[in-house]
Amino acid sequence: MGKKVLLSADHLYKKFSKDLRQSMRHGIEDIIRGSLGMHRDGRQLRSGEIFALKDINFHLNAHEILGITGVNGSGKTTLMRLISGIYEPDAGVVKGLPGLKVTAIFALGAGMQALFTGRENIYIKGAMYGMSREEVDAKIPFIEDFSELGERLDRPFGNYSSGMKARLSYSIAMATEPDVFIIDESLAVGDSAFKAKCLDNLREFADQPGKGVIFVSNQIRKILKIADRLLVMDHGAIIHETKDIDAGLEFYIKNCYAHLGEDKQESKLQKVKNYEL
Amino acid sequence: MIIFTAPNMKADTAANSTSLTPLHELQGSGLFGQISKVATNLRTYWFLVQQLVKVEMQVEFRRSFLGMGWLLIVPLVAVAVWILLNGAGVISPGDTGIPYPAYVLLSTSIWGFFAEAYRRCGRLIESYGRLLLSTPFPVETLFAQAVIVHLIRFVIPLGLNLLVLLIFGVRFTAAALLFPFALLPLLLLGCGFGLLIAPLRLIATDITRISDEGIRLLMYLTPIVYAPKVEISFLASIIALNPLTYLVGFPRDLLTKGQFFEPVTFGLCSLGSLLFFLIALWLFRTSEARVRERLIAN
Repeated sequence: MGKKVLLSADHLYKKFSKDLRQSMRHGIEDIIRGSLGMHRDGRQLRSGEIFALKDINFHLNAHEILGITGVNGSGKTTLMRLISGIYEPDAGVVKGLPGLKVTAIFALGAGMQALFTGRENIYIKGAMYGMSREEVDAKIPFIEDFSELGERLDRPFGNYSSGMKARLSYSIAMATEPDVFIIDESLAVGDSAFKAKCLDNLREFADQPGKGVIFVSNQIRKILKIADRLLVMDHGAIIHETKDIDAGLEFYIKNCYAHLGEDKQESKLQKVKNYEL
Repeated sequence: MIIFTAPNMKADTAANSTSLTPLHELQGSGLFGQISKVATNLRTYWFLVQQLVKVEMQVEFRRSFLGMGWLLIVPLVAVAVWILLNGAGVISPGDTGIPYPAYVLLSTSIWGFFAEAYRRCGRLIESYGRLLLSTPFPVETLFAQAVIVHLIRFVIPLGLNLLVLLIFGVRFTAAALLFPFALLPLLLLGCGFGLLIAPLRLIATDITRISDEGIRLLMYLTPIVYAPKVEISFLASIIALNPLTYLVGFPRDLLTKGQFFEPVTFGLCSLGSLLFFLIALWLFRTSEARVRERLIAN
């Protein structure tokens, strides 16, 4: 069966500085070079820099839920920020079908105003996603229905529990009708009922024509249930790609304990499986 | 549609690269390309600008019972102080043409218009950069928000100040109607300085400190609390070279005397302010993304 590629990352590089002052120095240099139209090879490290991402290549197919996992600090969120256009790559390019709309949810409650009610925040956040007042108005019933927050929608957002924040954030992001939906660890705090609803919703979403999902998570059980393909990241690189999610997760956990011997790896794997599955 | 079955990732993307186009345009096109992009983005994201203005205007009063009433109370108190000062008979330091307190009141208000534009624009990335780390939206919406909030918050004390001027015996002529337009160059210059400083506030704090103090110092090198004609020669030449002398003096004389203060120099300074602003806006847009990634979120 033929698959349509929605989005691809070609040879992406992203560097960060380890030291604060050095970061400031490199920042000034970048700005001066940028405004003079001078470009330097982003694949070369300057002093004190490390690769947050190094030569990343992957693609997302239509109808696909692509799971991405990796240890903390392996570059997952940085990669998602490059894909959603928050960071500029130092080298390489993110490509998509012309007019492709990417919506990402990162930290819970990011961009929300604590002193404003949930309902007011729908308009604020919707506007950040590029919606007009009419478009948000039209989506209010969907958001009310999907978030199941009821009258709590009219309470200050700052008083919401993290699960309630997740409900609202997810509902607003879904209301933007994206083509590619990126979820970065943001479902972890929802209650079981809402999590199940979201996972169902993600599958329904991906089944529509021309849609795809990137699901970044360390919650192994969830990835197993939902992903069609899995990428494992480590030290800013994709070290494994598989459609056999089970085997992929096993690879990932073993890689986390790569410094240990075979026997210990096996026992650690059993422990993780014990907790996560 | 391109069909492929190979499991190799690199081959897949290569085979499809013909139908895919770069998803995000990189910042850093020419000056005029950027300016027209700003205009398009502001149209597309106008609802966001409205929402940001609403948040900025309301957020500090949300927990207050007097609410937006504070916008009136603070300038009223200031005005009361000025009327008291006038009654106490403050000594006139030079020929200002109108009562000295009225002169200072108007001058500081015009200066505040410039300094506040600088302050608001100069803190854009520091105050709002974290929003951009979670949702990518055009950064110029933040700039538009800053300008609109600045104008709204300036109009209230200005209206009161004009009342006080009437009380002081200043009579306005028809030329006073040009006053709002005469303030535009100051707005452009203030915003221009602010936009230049905003990215540097995160990566070159030493420069922003110098700049913040410099603006404060500049007020004393501009005829705000004294008349443009001073006796000390070195100060006189600084004042003559300082474009703010004309940018502040022109709107002030429009109101108080109905005269055009140094119209040619004012015109040239205005043109310079416009160019400076456009270049600053361009630099702000080209550098913002590079600064954003160096934000230390907390």
